[in-house]
Amino acid sequence: MKIKDKINLRQASVPIMFIIICAVCIPLSGLSPKMLINEIITRMGRNSFLILSLLIPIMAGMGLNFGMTLGAMAAEIALILVCDWQIVSVPGMILAAIISVPISVLLGVFCGKILNRAKGREMITSYIMAFFVNGIYQLIVLFLMGKVIPIKHSSIKLPRGYGIRNTVSLLSMRQKLDNMLAVNIAGVKIPVLTFILIAIMCFIIIWFRRTKLGQDMRAVGQDMEVARDAGINVERTRIISIVISTVLAGLGMIIYLQNMGNIATYTAHSQIGMFCIAALLVGGASVDKASIGNVFLGVVLFHTMFIVAPRAGAYITGDSMIGEYFRVFVSYAVITVALIMYETNKRKAKSAASMRLKEAQESEEMGESSQADA
Amino acid sequence: MENKRQLLFRIAAIVIIVAIAAVMFIIGRGHTIYFDNKTAEYDGKKYESFYKVAIIKDKEKVAKLAEDERGMTDLIGQTLSVTLEITDEKGADPHSAKVSMPIPYGIDGIVINIPELMAGLPADAYMSEFVPVATSEDEEEEEVVIDEFEMTDDM
Amino acid sequence: MTMKERITASFKEFGLPRLIITGFLVLLLIIAPFVGSDLPTQISNIINRFSWNGILVLAMVPMVHSGCGLNFGLPLGIISGLLGATLSIELGFTGGLSFLMAIIIATPFALVFGALYGWLLKKIKGGEMMIATYVGFSSVSLMCMMWLVLPYHSPNMVWGLAGKGLRTTISLEGYFDQALAGIAQINIGNISIPTGTLLFFALLAFAIWAFLHTRTGTAMTAVGSNPKFAKAAGINVDWIRMLSVIMSTWLAAIGILVYEQGFGFIQLYMAPFYMALPAVSAILIGGASVNKASIMNVIVGTILFQGIVTMTPTVMNNIIHMDMSEVIRIIASMGMILFALTRKTEASR
Repeated sequence: MKIKDKINLRQASVPIMFIIICAVCIPLSGLSPKMLINEIITRMGRNSFLILSLLIPIMAGMGLNFGMTLGAMAAEIALILVCDWQIVSVPGMILAAIISVPISVLLGVFCGKILNRAKGREMITSYIMAFFVNGIYQLIVLFLMGKVIPIKHSSIKLPRGYGIRNTVSLLSMRQKLDNMLAVNIAGVKIPVLTFILIAIMCFIIIWFRRTKLGQDMRAVGQDMEVARDAGINVERTRIISIVISTVLAGLGMIIYLQNMGNIATYTAHSQIGMFCIAALLVGGASVDKASIGNVFLGVVLFHTMFIVAPRAGAYITGDSMIGEYFRVFVSYAVITVALIMYETNKRKAKSAASMRLKEAQESEEMGESSQADA
Repeated sequence: MENKRQLLFRIAAIVIIVAIAAVMFIIGRGHTIYFDNKTAEYDGKKYESFYKVAIIKDKEKVAKLAEDERGMTDLIGQTLSVTLEITDEKGADPHSAKVSMPIPYGIDGIVINIPELMAGLPADAYMSEFVPVATSEDEEEEEVVIDEFEMTDDM
Repeated sequence: MTMKERITASFKEFGLPRLIITGFLVLLLIIAPFVGSDLPTQISNIINRFSWNGILVLAMVPMVHSGCGLNFGLPLGIISGLLGATLSIELGFTGGLSFLMAIIIATPFALVFGALYGWLLKKIKGGEMMIATYVGFSSVSLMCMMWLVLPYHSPNMVWGLAGKGLRTTISLEGYFDQALAGIAQINIGNISIPTGTLLFFALLAFAIWAFLHTRTGTAMTAVGSNPKFAKAAGINVDWIRMLSVIMSTWLAAIGILVYEQGFGFIQLYMAPFYMALPAVSAILIGGASVNKASIMNVIVGTILFQGIVTMTPTVMNNIIHMDMSEVIRIIASMGMILFALTRKTEASR
């Protein structure tokens, strides 16, 4: 019981630390409450869906899915195509979503198969995977698009005749989803439809946990060998969890990009994984345990920090770059700390288990006397 | 039996999704419509521009054109329906006309000449494709930045 | 074992990705003269780049040997080197002396950072590579703030207008630009060979090789290949691992200094961010695996990797008029790392 309290306190320490950082930085940033709330609401709508995509691989014991970037890339390819076909507004988004799904599934299966061959080091492998697929993405977008894949409009094609420009404007889709059913409360715009989609996703995840497949995933996450003995197809279950994550990340990326209003073709996806993972961890999740509550707490805290840090930094030091670097540092540091905590806990649990085993053996041999020593 | 039903369901799901995609292709196609209030010639006949034209789409005034002016609006789908409020001469009362016409799917930007349209000429007379003029800025080659940390340079 | 079996076995050992990469480079070398690219210049480029990057790749060896896996935390050592370089200039040293001083100043930083890093890795055995990556990232982004804040004043390094905060790139002209490369440089036609740098690399490589054959060195190999056995044999596993991490960190610090003297500039801020990845893929291309690496792997790997880096832009440009070198490099190097991470025999460790 005592140990459990300690772990809970440790997990709560990250959110508490962030609350303190935010509490210090908010007054220094000089942002009005209305502006701040507006920004946070916008970012909640923009990012929550993406972060939700991380939950299922965690459930399956595969850690933080750095490979969610793959879904983001699938979504970008779909959006570029839709943009060239001039399918605009919400229909354009729906079409992009439909196109992104098969690409995401394909990439997800590939990623899942590779991760099955690297059990125990899923995270570093999925992280390298993201880089690898980024190379393939560039091959497609920079060389094949316009040469093999027809691209008509010169507004998105590089002047040399193939390859996509650095930014693709999504003006025709910009915030079309957010503005549908949007409600304005005291100057704060609330993108109701986006939030409804996020809520639906939350319910689907809750429902999914109770299905047979969801239960299997949890079993695989707890202990692969036990799950296999119970007749669960471990490999297949793990692949499915990555596929779901990749598909959700793709859909999330479409929501993200419609809010941004343009695609930074070669960089939009590269940092997405890192920021989403940092946000989830800030919300109090760990590598092997994450809930929907963590997602929303994380989005609010992480993005509040993200908004106020540069301004607060500029106020304190007179140099805005310090705040920029500070928030990047904090994002990385949070992930580092979470990873270290996860690994040390894992080791502790392991050594505690072996200790108990040893104890049991000793007590069998020597009777009651060894208990006092332990 | 169970497998067969599952297969059937899957095929049905795929068909429905493809159908949704097809519908999106049709209802989501965006066009840019340009309205010209310019004097035009067709078959040797002259069609004079109006003094003033206001264009109303979905109860919203999207453009107000004096003589020789061009206005634009975005359109989603293949049917353009607008109300034109036309003032023939200075001081005259405006009269409005409802027009509705199909827009060809394959063309992004379409120019509609209002005088010709009002004269009841065929579609190929008042409609023409909008060809954007390439600016010199467009021709310049763009440097593609692949990663933001300048790893491009070396190791 | 028959001859055929032996060939297929060594073929498997070599690995498909490695074969493709080697074949690709050989193909580039063959094609190069036909498409009008100057082979001697290319070879000279490869040798030069090898001399710049060799030690950074060499820095992988100790940690791989002790079973800590691939050192994705290379940026930590690079930061020690950057601190050495900037402090040496700040303290007013010039010319070749500034290079020596940079090494001397970088060393204590590397030892301290390496010790801290080693202590951390001791606590997280089994998850080294992922945490190493993020330790590298965190330290680089922390140093981004530090470069702005630390009280540097040398007018050659700080922003001219503000008079404080280091610039993103600092020219080494007048300091240790070509400090090693200039020693006994050989110039034949288009080829120039940086003898000094190559000798320096050879010296360090030999030192590491010799170290691995001392008692401590063999103990390190034992820890890496079979930690249980090593423990039973009375080897202090934690200390050996710590030593290997410190060595790797120090080599990375020296490596970046050698790189800078060849390149002619110090690159600060985000520049060290992804520097671990090319070094990791280079040693893997050279035939190393997650828990096995030799000096030969370093040399072969660096030559192959740098060969592809230098050859692809010119040759590909001449053949298909598209500069696909960047994309090819990303796919090849990341594919190599992925392959190494997924090998069954190694994953079981």
